[in-house]
Amino acid sequence: MSEDTPSSDGTDRPATETETTETETETETETETQLGAESAPDRNPSANPNMSTNTPTTPSTDAESKSSDAETTQSDDVSDRPAVLEADDIDHAYGTVSVLENVSTTVDAGAVTALIGPNGSGKTTLLRVLAGLLEPTAGSVIYRGDAAARRIGYLPQQPAFRPGFTVLETLRFYSSLVGADEAETDAVDRLETVGLADAADRPVEALSGGMTRLVGIAQATIGDPPVVVLDEPASGLDPGMSRHVFEIASELAAEGTAVLLSSHDLALVDRTADEVAVLDEGRIVRQGPPATMRATLEVDSLRAVYEESVAADAGTVRVQGVTDE
Amino acid sequence: MTDQANLESDAGADTGGEVEAPMQARTPGTAHLLWTIVGRELRTVSRTRTFYLLAAALAAVVLGITWIGGGYTAGYLPTAVDLLTPLELLVPIVAVAFGYRAILADEQRGELDVLETYPVSPREIVLGVYAGRAVGLAAAIALPLAVAAVAIALTGDDTVAIYATHAGADSPVLFARFLVLTVLFGLVVLAVAIAISSLVSATRSALGLSVVALVALLVGFDLAIVYGLAEGILGDADLLYSLAISPLSAYRGLVLETTVVVATGTGPQVASPLASLAGLAAWTVGSLAVAIWGVRR
Repeated sequence: MSEDTPSSDGTDRPATETETTETETETETETETQLGAESAPDRNPSANPNMSTNTPTTPSTDAESKSSDAETTQSDDVSDRPAVLEADDIDHAYGTVSVLENVSTTVDAGAVTALIGPNGSGKTTLLRVLAGLLEPTAGSVIYRGDAAARRIGYLPQQPAFRPGFTVLETLRFYSSLVGADEAETDAVDRLETVGLADAADRPVEALSGGMTRLVGIAQATIGDPPVVVLDEPASGLDPGMSRHVFEIASELAAEGTAVLLSSHDLALVDRTADEVAVLDEGRIVRQGPPATMRATLEVDSLRAVYEESVAADAGTVRVQGVTDE
Repeated sequence: MTDQANLESDAGADTGGEVEAPMQARTPGTAHLLWTIVGRELRTVSRTRTFYLLAAALAAVVLGITWIGGGYTAGYLPTAVDLLTPLELLVPIVAVAFGYRAILADEQRGELDVLETYPVSPREIVLGVYAGRAVGLAAAIALPLAVAAVAIALTGDDTVAIYATHAGADSPVLFARFLVLTVLFGLVVLAVAIAISSLVSATRSALGLSVVALVALLVGFDLAIVYGLAEGILGDADLLYSLAISPLSAYRGLVLETTVVVATGTGPQVASPLASLAGLAAWTVGSLAVAIWGVRR
């Protein structure tokens, strides 16, 4: 998320640009097809028909040249990372309530990108759009990663699993869906990664909220997707486990995965994230490496950056479409 | 797209994925995915006490009617006739109970969203869920009927020596037909329940829509056919085929046509077996198509 900013370039880009690539069964062959918004592919790891999943032959030079409403700060090291997801002029509305407006951004490989913002600012909606689970009202999301059985891993904000199964059975089921040769071994490895190996035989309905979230994180990494989207992965976890979850995110990024997460734990975000985007009232109002953002605003913490960037008063939730501009 | 695919491979190498990329790009086949989902559903059915209670209640009714009605001594055909009407009511209820939350529960937990990030299509999800639940429902229906058949074989007054469909003769083959048709009827209603499960977003809505569907299936379509006949919309010649439109009438007609009429050897034709089977197949396929659309939506 190092290059693009909310765009207002005024280009006549179609509202539903829908280039999509489907991964063929048992092959690595890809076919580029133009799909309408209503014609979702039958088998598509990125279910959003508005999510373009091709690798364009030309880099996004147009995106790089976009003008910006938001303040963007960059450093050379992060700008070198290839973008795996690229959102272009995303709008999303629930009925008449606009939640996202003109959001353009990128999610880079090998980096932890954090989305922060007040409650109701549109973080979860943006994450779901980027994960291909919500069709944007306008704009497009382009997947530029490599071909993979599972392109995007996803942790919902409130993960839950089918009762009656153990933790290991649950993860084994998901591992089997990506064709893991040794689903059981793969599931055990994922559990060890999140520190839940001892709970392998525990029924999922007997897990605490925090443990359920850890199982959800393990699930999100199954299939080694090039992009992992985590919606508030540290919510409900104790400080030690929160730190562990962010360490997992850093390790994934170190292995080349593009990690996109949302969080209200600004200290951990400050310490861990390579890129931070501040979302307020459905728009990205500031983005860049946290250190650069602090330096630009001459403040000493990401919390101060946050407070400088968002419009809401502390203790007040701005409700989009209701609260006065 | 070949060039683009190559670029994607290059991107994978750039991000350290040069070893893993070929493995990741291999998408499991439909058979593997279906079997994985079916296995999950089978485990769910086998571990849910509610399903055992439903199966036990159905078994109690079937065996109770067989016992009280004297069917186990009277023979296969009298037992099938005794059971037909109660099963017309009970099988749809049990089938709806097996299926009305099958997809809804995953949707409410957010697991349907998570599944969307895996290389599994809505069609594979629906067919896998349906097949898994269908096995459980078929067992719940077939086992008590099979037990009743064994009771008849062991305790019947007259030993049945004919194991073929002879006009004027009772036969276990006739009861086997009744059993198979009853299971088929249950599977049709299960498909309707799965469709309902994929269309609603709340348990209360699922229950409400299930009740509406049950009333329509058990009463509504038959009343519509009667109304059509009374108003002259349907002619007498159309009756056999119009019965196929209603799953319940199609089931009843198939049972009567392939068991009672065969055994008695006389009487007018009460149903068109081919049309009835086509009607049941259309309800199943149509309902599953609606379910796939619902999941994709």
